[in-house]
Amino acid sequence: MAALKEEEIVSLAEFAVQYALKKGANEAEAFAYEGLTTTVTIERGQIAKSSRIIDRGLGLRTVVGKAIGFSYTNIIKDKAAIEETVSKALKSAKASKPDKDWQGFPSKKPFAKTKNTFDETICGLSPEDLVKTASIMLEASEKTDRRVFPVEGGVGASYLSRSIVNSNGINGFDGGTVVECSLATVAQESGEVTPVCFEFEAERLYKIDPEWVGAEAARQAASALKAKRVETKSMQVIFAHFAIQQLLYYTLMDAVKADYVQRGRSALQGKVGEKVASEIVTIHDDGLLDGGLRTWKFDGEGIPQQKTTIIENGVLRSYLYDNYTARKEDMESTGNAFRAGYLSTPHIEATNFHIIGGKKSPEELISEIKEGLLVYSVQGAHSSNPASGEFSVVATLAWKIEKGKIAHAVKGAMLAGNIFATLKNISALANNERKIGPLVTPWVLVEKIKVVGK
Amino acid sequence: MKDLLIKIIEVAIQRFGAEYAEARAQRLFKTMLTVKEEKVEAAKEGIENGVALRVLVNGAWGFASVGFFDADILMDAVSHACKMAKAASLKLKNPIKLAGSKAIEDHVPVKPKRNPSEVPVETKIKTTLSIAENVLGYDNRVRSCTVDYLDLVGTNFFINSEGTRIEQDKLYVWLRVLATAKEKDIFTFSREEVGSTAGYEVFDVETPEVVGERVAKRAVNQLRAKTPKGGTFPAILGPNVVGVFVHEAFGHLAEADLTLSGSVLMDKLGKKVASESVTIYDDGTVEGAFGSFKYDDEGVPTQKTLLVKDGFVVGLMHNKETAKKFNTQPTGNARAEDFRVEPIIRMRNTFMAPRDYSFEELVEDIKFGYYFKSFRGGQANLDGTFQVGIQEGYEIVKGDIGEPIRNASISGNTLETLHKVDAVGKDFELWPGRCGKGQTAFVCDGGPHIRVLEVLVGGGA
Repeated sequence: MAALKEEEIVSLAEFAVQYALKKGANEAEAFAYEGLTTTVTIERGQIAKSSRIIDRGLGLRTVVGKAIGFSYTNIIKDKAAIEETVSKALKSAKASKPDKDWQGFPSKKPFAKTKNTFDETICGLSPEDLVKTASIMLEASEKTDRRVFPVEGGVGASYLSRSIVNSNGINGFDGGTVVECSLATVAQESGEVTPVCFEFEAERLYKIDPEWVGAEAARQAASALKAKRVETKSMQVIFAHFAIQQLLYYTLMDAVKADYVQRGRSALQGKVGEKVASEIVTIHDDGLLDGGLRTWKFDGEGIPQQKTTIIENGVLRSYLYDNYTARKEDMESTGNAFRAGYLSTPHIEATNFHIIGGKKSPEELISEIKEGLLVYSVQGAHSSNPASGEFSVVATLAWKIEKGKIAHAVKGAMLAGNIFATLKNISALANNERKIGPLVTPWVLVEKIKVVGK
Repeated sequence: MKDLLIKIIEVAIQRFGAEYAEARAQRLFKTMLTVKEEKVEAAKEGIENGVALRVLVNGAWGFASVGFFDADILMDAVSHACKMAKAASLKLKNPIKLAGSKAIEDHVPVKPKRNPSEVPVETKIKTTLSIAENVLGYDNRVRSCTVDYLDLVGTNFFINSEGTRIEQDKLYVWLRVLATAKEKDIFTFSREEVGSTAGYEVFDVETPEVVGERVAKRAVNQLRAKTPKGGTFPAILGPNVVGVFVHEAFGHLAEADLTLSGSVLMDKLGKKVASESVTIYDDGTVEGAFGSFKYDDEGVPTQKTLLVKDGFVVGLMHNKETAKKFNTQPTGNARAEDFRVEPIIRMRNTFMAPRDYSFEELVEDIKFGYYFKSFRGGQANLDGTFQVGIQEGYEIVKGDIGEPIRNASISGNTLETLHKVDAVGKDFELWPGRCGKGQTAFVCDGGPHIRVLEVLVGGGA
């Protein structure tokens, strides 16, 4: 089944808004979403599955008085289903309580310009094409080391579109593509099993390197064998891309959200203008990043996405806002209203949270460490204390660095600390930035991390 | 609906040469609420209708999911699914085979005392607001409270090419409360979940007062807690922590797909992996529990599956594909979150069976150690490394429960730790939760209090 045309999907959203106003809403906003995804899946060493998933629907917010209602449906082919959604949203608004801080939906502003977010080639990929890509990845993995077993993985190609219409005149459509390939591996040798190692690439344009992904996933697993325990002591730690994402997602990335700040749930409350990180740290939330995984013309409320400086040379400059939290402080939204498709009302999320890389190569970073750890992945970051930033995690994929060289793989090492103290102890950033979900980050060297070994 | 799905399955088999085909149709109605402090964010209601088609052609799987019930769209989707399977089979080394299961025809209605679909939204708003009021009113150091509520009511149709035709009603009620407290520079955080497949009557027991106090009290008590020492200590794990341990640290390794992927259990079947006081079940039959259902999403009846008996691994959790590989029967663990995804092996209600120790007997011999009462997240890896974050814990000093601790987490190797379980209590609790494995599944886990001779405790900074 082909994708809906821009006119079709926008006119559905327009109809929903008009009908809601006619039925008594003071304000209305419709967000329509469509996702067409083709994947092939690798399971236990072979390509064994292929799927085609079509998901589309419309979510509608209505305001009656200052009370907000929301309803969604995935049946959007006829007007009757939309009409039913409208009456549910109105009913839900009437059942809800007025919110005195509500100051209306946003008004129209020119949408931003984005680069490299759509690639026709990706829309045209057949399951056979994806099987070919997956095979290249698998073969690269098998060739690298015979002790490695590709547990799971796959290749996926998606077309996604989003449309927004509100009663203040916002009316927009944006379509984009994503292609990704990933491989999870374990290595086994004389009774030892490594943790699961994972590598992937995701891009908006069709330029992924499945051979690198396969080989790298295998290299990691093979070099995770013969893991040893380490002593309990404080040491220098290099956090690689995934580990940074795991540690920051539930801590720093929540702490800069305006709703967390306004509700007293953020350790960064009242700290704009203060030093919150080492002076080498600069972070932008860049909703317009060239080819960014979360780059769109407008956010989940139809506000143009933008580049916002969060931390500049260690100093906190701004939080992330949606329209509601911004108006509460008499500010402008930073375009960070996020939607999980059509199923939810918007909430604040980072777009492309970009930690600016430094000058040193990853090899140079390693070579300057006398004794430390290189941590690729941690386990249990979601059990951090998100309010205080305290974390206590296991380094699941890590290597000991001794005298500037990787000495051996490490098992069972726990890392404990406070993420906000850790930000101040960052002493170097590598030059190897990459995109990991909502994050763009290089490797990060932290001076003192408490490592609990044995 | 049934007739259309039967026809679609026939087309897959007869026209496209599928060896096996199944259709799963879902009509679902969800209500969601979020309360932040005294404010209700938009009450949300939604419809999610759709069909998932899964076919096995030339030994490979094809899957298609569409949000439509129209005959022509479904015909198109089934042809697509078969084409997808043929493409996937191009590089196949070992064709997939399935364990057969007997044909079942059944209609499974739900029988709640209070059906959430008949409870007005106003009442649901009142309940969630009242929880927030109870949390915030407990102590002025409680700074924020978020309550998320979800109920889901609907029907699933399951038809397969082996003659199974099941119409099964679904009902879930779930709620999560998060609270933070602050005093000077100390931030604490507390979390609770409520979940049931019985009905809205779950809130007659888990009242706003009961739930509110449980969350708020913990957040406030943590303010005066100290950070634990890092290192290896004896520990008592409460039922809530035992639950997440048997689920995360052991259960995932015993999901046969992960066992086959190389989990540390692969060469341990029939062998001793734990002390003899350890017996572990995954049970889909506990009435009203959050992980219970009658048939799984491959049309297989659920059951009470014995995984570990007196320290020996005696079973795994299977779907039809892994059951065939292990030359055994599927255990009813194949679950799909919704019509957008295919069924995979998931846990249901996973627990350690109680024995005969009282709490006092467990604690009395410990000179210095920790009592870990309630968890905040846990995770495990195929190599058996686990980590469980602790949201409520205490020191044990000379056989007595002492000062509270905060931000602890425990870690270790699952099998080593299971061998170190030296005493198992006689009490029992089951806690609702949600498990993520690419998809979300509603589950319970639990057990009695247990004593572990040593566990690695990651201290605070």
